[in-house]
Parts: sequence; structure tokens; C-alpha cells
Amino acid sequence: MTPRWRLVLLGLAALVLLPAVLRISLALPTFGAPQAELGQAMNDLVPGLRHVTNMVAAVNFDLRGIDTLGEECMLLCAVSGATVLLRGARGESGRERAGHLPGRPVTPRADATVLVCRIAATLTLLFGVSVALHGMTTPGGGFQGGVIVASGLLLLYLGERYEGWRALIPPPVLAVLEGGGAVLFVLCAGMPLLAGHPALQNLLPLGEPKDLYSGGLMVVVNAAVALSVTGSFGLLLVEFLEETREPAGDPVPEDSLPDTSLPDQAER
Amino acid sequence: MTPDALLPVAVLLPLGVATLLLALAHWLPPRLPKVVAILTALAVCGLCAFLARHSLDGPVRHWFAGWTPDATHRPGIVLGIGFQADPASAALAAFCGLLFTASFVFAWGYFDTEHAHFHVLMLLFLAAMVGFCLTRDLFNLFVWFELMSVAAFALTAYPLGRSALEGAFTFTITNALASFLMLAATGLLYARTGTFDFAAMGQAVARTGSDPVLTGGFVLVASALLTKAAILPFHLWLADAHAVAPSPVSVIFSGAMVSLALFGLAKLVAQVFSGDPQVMALVRGLLLWLGLATALVAGLTAFAQRHLKRLLAFSTIAHLGIMLTALAAGTGTATAGLLLYVVGHGLVKGALFMVAGMLLALRQSADEIVLYGQGRGLWAPALAMGVGGLMLGGLPLGLMHGATHWMDVSAAAPAKAVVTLASALTGAAVLRAAARIFLGASGVPGPELLAPTEREREKADRPLWLMAAPALALVVLALAPSKAVMPFLGAAAARLRDPSLPPLTLPEAGFGHLTPLGLTLALLGLALLRRRAVRGVSRGIILVERRSFGALQALHSGLVGDYVTWMAVGLALFALACAGQAAG
Repeated sequence: MTPRWRLVLLGLAALVLLPAVLRISLALPTFGAPQAELGQAMNDLVPGLRHVTNMVAAVNFDLRGIDTLGEECMLLCAVSGATVLLRGARGESGRERAGHLPGRPVTPRADATVLVCRIAATLTLLFGVSVALHGMTTPGGGFQGGVIVASGLLLLYLGERYEGWRALIPPPVLAVLEGGGAVLFVLCAGMPLLAGHPALQNLLPLGEPKDLYSGGLMVVVNAAVALSVTGSFGLLLVEFLEETREPAGDPVPEDSLPDTSLPDQAER
Repeated sequence: MTPDALLPVAVLLPLGVATLLLALAHWLPPRLPKVVAILTALAVCGLCAFLARHSLDGPVRHWFAGWTPDATHRPGIVLGIGFQADPASAALAAFCGLLFTASFVFAWGYFDTEHAHFHVLMLLFLAAMVGFCLTRDLFNLFVWFELMSVAAFALTAYPLGRSALEGAFTFTITNALASFLMLAATGLLYARTGTFDFAAMGQAVARTGSDPVLTGGFVLVASALLTKAAILPFHLWLADAHAVAPSPVSVIFSGAMVSLALFGLAKLVAQVFSGDPQVMALVRGLLLWLGLATALVAGLTAFAQRHLKRLLAFSTIAHLGIMLTALAAGTGTATAGLLLYVVGHGLVKGALFMVAGMLLALRQSADEIVLYGQGRGLWAPALAMGVGGLMLGGLPLGLMHGATHWMDVSAAAPAKAVVTLASALTGAAVLRAAARIFLGASGVPGPELLAPTEREREKADRPLWLMAAPALALVVLALAPSKAVMPFLGAAAARLRDPSLPPLTLPEAGFGHLTPLGLTLALLGLALLRRRAVRGVSRGIILVERRSFGALQALHSGLVGDYVTWMAVGLALFALACAGQAAG
């Protein structure tokens, strides 16, 4: 099909679809109409039943927790998929130490960059942990907190350079965080079964509303998600920052890296 | 533990094992993930079979975190998510476990990776399929649908070659669009019914009756599932993806993933939309036509392929079209036929993709013309492929035969003729390739000579018997007499619609008539006895034949822009059908 014919066909299809879309949108409940009884019921009942103030967290980690487990695994699956796709030149096993593409310059970092990054990374880490921990009381939670912590890792990369970064954060540890967080989630779902309760049943003490510990099992699930998301995004960063790939995509010869001093170390 | 408590384990077990493997992959000995994966798939199969057995006494239900529908004391409000095993859903989940077990055994040694990524992805894939079968919540269904897609994208691109990446790219774009459609459908249906639970939604739909929002929701969710199930004109991604994925993955794709989407649609139609006359008119009308068109077009295209995996992929599309006609018929007997067809076809197609994998590993090609006569002495794959081809073409034995019989009971004569022709075309195509590869029989190649082919190979790192054993096991299972499962199917078909219905009594599938098999063998003979055209008339015929098959091939251009355009055309067809109903 030539691009012109494709456009014509697409235009015809759109012409047919337009009235249908209009018809459906006009029949929809009007914007802001308070019709969703399910949502109303959640807002009425859940604060009393689960002692949390953030309804989104209650929906994610308790009412529809199995959805969240599925989505968590989707993230994990996507990251594993990305690892599989990007393994190309590096072989499947990955490298134990930081790779370096011969001929690619390694930029030394200024002292000011190092200092600023170290301070900012610490603050970001603290902020991320705080967002994750307060998931039951304020907007935020494990997903958001985990992403913030992982973006702190990027600041570490900026300050410490790739090699230092890889030494600080070995990928197997990230994989343990990623997989281990998800395992913890599965355990949260499966353990109540052993005691004769439904999966994911909230058996822990619920705590006080607006407290850091409120929501019972949700706190553990939230922490599991935070760990897993941190690990996943960390691994993704490792994959993208791996500096061994040839621009043309040809495989790098095994261990062609100069073992002698790298250019930037010589400069220092 | 009671069956109720075991229901979520069917999903939690593969998820837990996959995540544990991922966490510890760095320290595990390389063989352990393979053994663990096989055992897990086997356990899932056994567990789901146990659930299927128990659901005959009444549906097995599990409400996560104890949020049962009466937990709120408000009628019609379902706060939580429920799993429900009816005989059909649990049996299909067990079938997925079985197919994954066979595929893991077949792939032993093929994926020697230190990080067990292949097994992690496959186990997540399995968990998603089981969840897709067992859930009774629309949004949860979307989550498992999406997890299935994400795992499948990565697995398709696993070989990392150019064609693998291209195939995975079109697969990703089209199926991600399908996910968007499904999400939008979930929104529309929630806006009108106020719930995600299938049963509650079904009641709300029956109360509302026909409504543009409900119809719109159905059209979107149906398009999403038809994209996954590769129904014309949403089908174009499938051949590209299935032909390039590693063969153990293709086994799962063709054997279970695509037909599972059709099962999901059948379940939604039966449990949610059966009270909406406008939607049911779409199902009985447009879906039937789409099914017939898919069967015919894909059957012809399959006959004109030379690359074995592409040939099998098109044959899968044709058989999905056949299954869709049974879905559109919608009677209890046809549903029983559909369920059995999913399993029978899955077993046969799994075995055939394994044969393609064996040829790729041992003879470094999957092109029937390149491989001419090269398969002599490989009796096990030859046997699997021969019997498999005969079953696709209408051998009056085995599960597919019984399934066809029940699907045909309510079908009109022209529809039956199209279905017979399509299955004969796919059967003849497989047999032709088998005859060329294993017997060295030929004839002058016809339109298949012009079909795209691919130079590829797979690692030859495992003995033939290890690869042949799962393929032959699947073929033997597919040859099982359909009489044995008749009482179970009767209950399964009835309970898919409503758990309280009594089991159906199915008419016994006799020996049937030999027309389909005869047609298959006639087409095979035609292909193998073909001679070079010398005279004017036959030259003219061949020119016309070549042109028409060329046009069919041109439709499958491999360009993702074309595929998306055809998806839009598919949606427009639904809109036109709705308008036609309103007018007529």
C-alpha cells in the first residue's frame, strides 16, 4: 500500500467512525456527574474499615490488590524484556564490572558537580523514602517513592561517573530488590491462605488513621512495591548506561578493554 | 486446603516462582531454573485440572482480601476482585499449564542464560494466561491481558535478529493499540454499569438493554480481543510475530495465547452481553462474517507459503476464523465445540511448531523448498507433522474431529463449506511441506515460490529425542477420542453462560463423512503433481493465480502503518454494522 492509499483508507475509516464516536460521547454521563456508586461506596466505607486517608492507596493495595500485583509484575516483565533486548553486544550474562567502549571519552567530573550531586542525591533518596512511607496518609506511595529513589541513583551517576556508580550499585543487588519486592508482595497475598483466610486478607493490626502506620498489611505491600520499583528502574538505568555498545551495533570483542589506566585516571 | 482457597494459588505460584528466580538468578546454578520452570508449569496444570474437576459440583470462587459482594451490605456494589473457576475456564488454564510444560521440555538447553530471563518471562506469561482464564473482573482481565502482551513482546524479540525485532515491533504497536482499546472499553462499560464484576455487569446490561455506550464498549473490547486473536482485518501482525519468535515461544503463541483471547470474548459475550439485543445481533451477524472471511483468506494465504513457521502462523489465523464462527453461532453445542477446538487445535499447532523448531535446529532452515528431501530419516518429526497435518485437514479421529462435529451442528450449509475448504487448505499446506521435506516428493512449486522466506536457524544443542518427545506427546493427546470428554464439555459449555444451568447432552460425534479429508488429499495431490505449464491456457491460469496470490501477499506488507490502518478499517466495519442494524 502506498502512503497515499494508506491515508485515504485511514481517512475513510475515520469518516465512518466519527459519527459513532459522537453518538457514544453524547450518550455518556455528563462530566462530573456523581453517578459512580462504586466510588461513593469506597469513600464512605473504606476509611472506617481500613483506617487510611488515601483512598487511592486503599484501592491499589487492598481492595484491588491483585490488580496491583499484576501491574507490578508487568513492570518487572517490561524491565526484564528491556534487559533481554539490550543485552545484544554484551552477551546474556552482563558484566560484573563496568564496561567501557574503547575510544569513547570519559569525562572527568568537576568537584562542584560531585558535591552538589552527593547532597542532592541524599535529599532525593530521603524524599523518595518519605513519599513511599506516607503512602497511606497522603498522595504518593510505593510506585511514586520507588521512582523518586531510582532517579536519585541517576544523580549518583552524574556525580560519581559510571564506574563509581556501578561499584556502588551492583546489578545483582538491584535484581534482588526488584524480584525480592515482588516476592514479598506474593507472600503477602499467599500467607493468609495458609491460615485459612482469603488471599491478601488484611490480618495485621490496622493502626490509627493519619498515622505513619495505618492500613495494616497495606504498609507491607506498599514497601514491597517501593523496593521492587526502585530495583526495576535501577536495572533499567544500568542497561541504558552500559557503555559497551558500539554505535553501529556490532558486537564488542570480548574483553578488549584496556586493563591499564583509563585516560581520565591518567589525567588526574 | 479447599478448592476455594487453592484458586488464587494457580496464579500466585507462577508469579512467586518467576519473581524468586529473578531475584536469585545471579547465584542459581544454570540448570535449576529449567527444572523449576517445568515443575511449576506442571503444578499449575495439575492444580487447574483439580479446580476443573471440583467446579463440576458448582463454581469455585475466591474473593481477594475477603471483599465479597455482600461485604458492603449495598446491593449491586462489588468492591473487590473475584476469581471464579467454571469447568471451561479451569480446564483451559490447565491446558495452558500443559502446553507450557511441553514447551519448557522442548526448549531444554535452548536458552542457556545465566539470568534465567527466558524462564522468568515465560512463567509470568503463564501466570497472566491463568489469571486471564480465572478472573471475573473486567479491569483485572485487562491487567492479565496486558501482562500477557508485555511478556509476549519481549519473548518475540528474543532472537534479536533483524526480522525478530521487526516482527516484535509490529506486534508491540498493534497489540499495545489493542490494550488502549480495551482500557477505553473498560471505561465505557464502567460508566454505564457502575461495576467491573462480570455477573453484576451482566445484570446491569440486562436492565439497561441496548444503549450506544454499551455497544461502544462491546465494540472496543471485541476489537481488542480480536486483535489478539488475529481476526481479519486485525490479524496482520500475527504471521510476522509468530514466524520470528523462537519456536518454543511460537508453540505457546499459536497453541494457547491467540485462542485464549477468543475464549475471553466468548466468556464476555455469554456472561456480560447476552442481555443486550444490539450486541448479540453484532455477534451473530458481523462476527460470523469476519470469521468466515478470516478462515478463507488465511487458508488461501497459508497454502501459498513456503516458510514453515509462516505457513503455520497463517493456518492458525484460518483456524481462529473457524473458531469465531462457532462463537458467533452461540448455541451450547457450538460453544462445546469451540472449547474442544481450542484445545485440539492448540495441541496440534504446538506439535507442528515444535517440528519447525526441530528442522531449524537440525537442518538450519524452515523453508520447504530449501529443505527439499533433507528430512529423510527424521521419522519422529515426520510422523508428528504428517498426523498433525491430517488432523488440521479433517481426519475423522481425535479432538478436532469431535469439535468440528459440534460446531457444525447449527451452522448453515455455505458456512460449513467455507470452513471445510479453509481447514482443507491448511491441512494440505502442512502435508505438502511434510511431503517435500521428509519424502522428497515435489511437483513444480506454485504460488508458494513467491512467498517471503527467511534465513534463520536455531541452536542445535539438544538430542532429537528430547525435542521429539513433547511433540509426539501432544499429537497423541490430540488423537484422544472426543467421546471421553463429552460429559465434561456438556457441563462446561452450559456453565460458561450461567453456573446454575444443568449440563448439556451433546450429540455423539460419529465417524462423520470423509469430504474434508478427501478435499485435503485432493489439494495435496494437486500441489504435488503440478507440472510446468507449457500450453497457452494453463499459462493463463497460472498467471491469474500468481497475480491473485501476489495481491494477498501484498496485503501482509510488514509495514506497521498499514496494519494500524486496517485496524481502523475493522473498527469502521463495526460502526457500519451498528448503523446498518439501526437502519434495518
